[in-house]
Amino acid sequence: MSSLIVFIITAGLPATLLLTAAGLAMGFIIGVTLALIRVYAEEDIAILAQGYENIFRGIPVLVLMLLFLVMTGWPAMFSAALALGLRSGAYQSQIVRGAILSVNENQMLAAYALGMNRTQTARHIVLPQAFRLALPGWSNEYAVVTKDTAWAGAIGVLDMVKASDYLVFESPVTFLPAILAITMIYFFLTYPVTRYAGERMSKKLRSLGLGVSK
Amino acid sequence: MSSSKQTLAIYLIIGLVIGFGLGFFTPGLIPEPQSNLVARIQARGTLVVGTEAGYPPFEMYNTTTSTYYGFDIDICQLIADELGVDLEIQDMAFDTLVAACKAGTVDMLAAAMFLTSERAKQLAFSEPYYISNEVMVVNGSNPLEIESLADLEGLDVGVQTGTVEADEIQAEIDGGTAIIAHTYASVAQMFIDLNSGALDAVYIDEPVFEVYSSIYVFRTIYKVSAPAYVFYCRWSNPDLLSVIDGVIADANADGTMSTLVETWFG
Repeated sequence: MSSLIVFIITAGLPATLLLTAAGLAMGFIIGVTLALIRVYAEEDIAILAQGYENIFRGIPVLVLMLLFLVMTGWPAMFSAALALGLRSGAYQSQIVRGAILSVNENQMLAAYALGMNRTQTARHIVLPQAFRLALPGWSNEYAVVTKDTAWAGAIGVLDMVKASDYLVFESPVTFLPAILAITMIYFFLTYPVTRYAGERMSKKLRSLGLGVSK
Repeated sequence: MSSSKQTLAIYLIIGLVIGFGLGFFTPGLIPEPQSNLVARIQARGTLVVGTEAGYPPFEMYNTTTSTYYGFDIDICQLIADELGVDLEIQDMAFDTLVAACKAGTVDMLAAAMFLTSERAKQLAFSEPYYISNEVMVVNGSNPLEIESLADLEGLDVGVQTGTVEADEIQAEIDGGTAIIAHTYASVAQMFIDLNSGALDAVYIDEPVFEVYSSIYVFRTIYKVSAPAYVFYCRWSNPDLLSVIDGVIADANADGTMSTLVETWFG
């Protein structure tokens, strides 16, 4: 059992973590950009951002991975990270947009009254609060991306699920232990983050008078 | 949002889908320029081979040493040695292999693949490196003898789903021979039924039968060559194909191939 977990962690965990990090980082850049466009830009441009969201929220991540792999000829790891990142960008845009809109509009008016322009207001007043407000929703997105890295095995990335496949090929009796082991690892990867960033942060924000009340 | 904006968004989405579609199909319409893939492989230092591990004895993964091994892997190692580069195995789902090779994700395919005309339309194929047999086996006590598949009229014959053997039996039935075909997903169950007498005969790849011949007392009554196993690469890379063919020819000539066959199938 212990050698089984060691193999899953050494062979599969690095790819899982790397894909999660790459997907979230790419999704964050895309998401914040799209959210800013949707809130602040002219409607003609905002509609492009909305179109992007509609497309990438509507395609399963495995289908995206297969599309990139087969259409571009890029390495499997890159295709998988790209699929996760582009899809996550569409969801993170929604999270950040909601957070920006939930910052009280009177604060913007106050900032204008103090002589700040729109960029300064967004940069110094709205976004710092919005990122905090986005954290609980973002922790959920972290869990989603972490779990969706499991699809990457299908296009040839040696992740934890693929590693457990190899163990089962060698010895069929390891099927249940291997699945239980990756279940536990995924849980330990996601739970602390959703627990802290989700529940604790929600409580903290409420005590500051931010976010939704229960 | 006004309805004209919504219409615009819908047109945008349709436009993108069409764009993706064109991007996918145009590379097939424009003939790919022949490029010197061997030079690129040598510059990058790795030969990338697409396969699906988990098909003994052709390709498997050893979780103790974290390496791929098997008959196909050994021949690919010879090809990599000939090129003077390292071998990199890209393990992916079998269905995605042909498309991945066409797109350039991998340089070549080595996945115990038969030579079929459908695949040959998509990809260039090497010289056959291995040919196995299809065998008809019966219970050791069964006196049945056949000259051809037509002699199986009225008998219960077991085949595995999706195999060439299943296609051949079906073609025979379509041709008017009343064979009672039973298709199995599980080879193990098929041999249990043959042993118990529920089946008169089983039609299967010889390497698979070899595994079970040590468990039960069966007799081979009919044997024909199966389609050849070949490697695939892109039509636009004849330079790599000639290296692959050269390695197969050399291995056949100097006895390396028969040593490998003895190792993996002996």
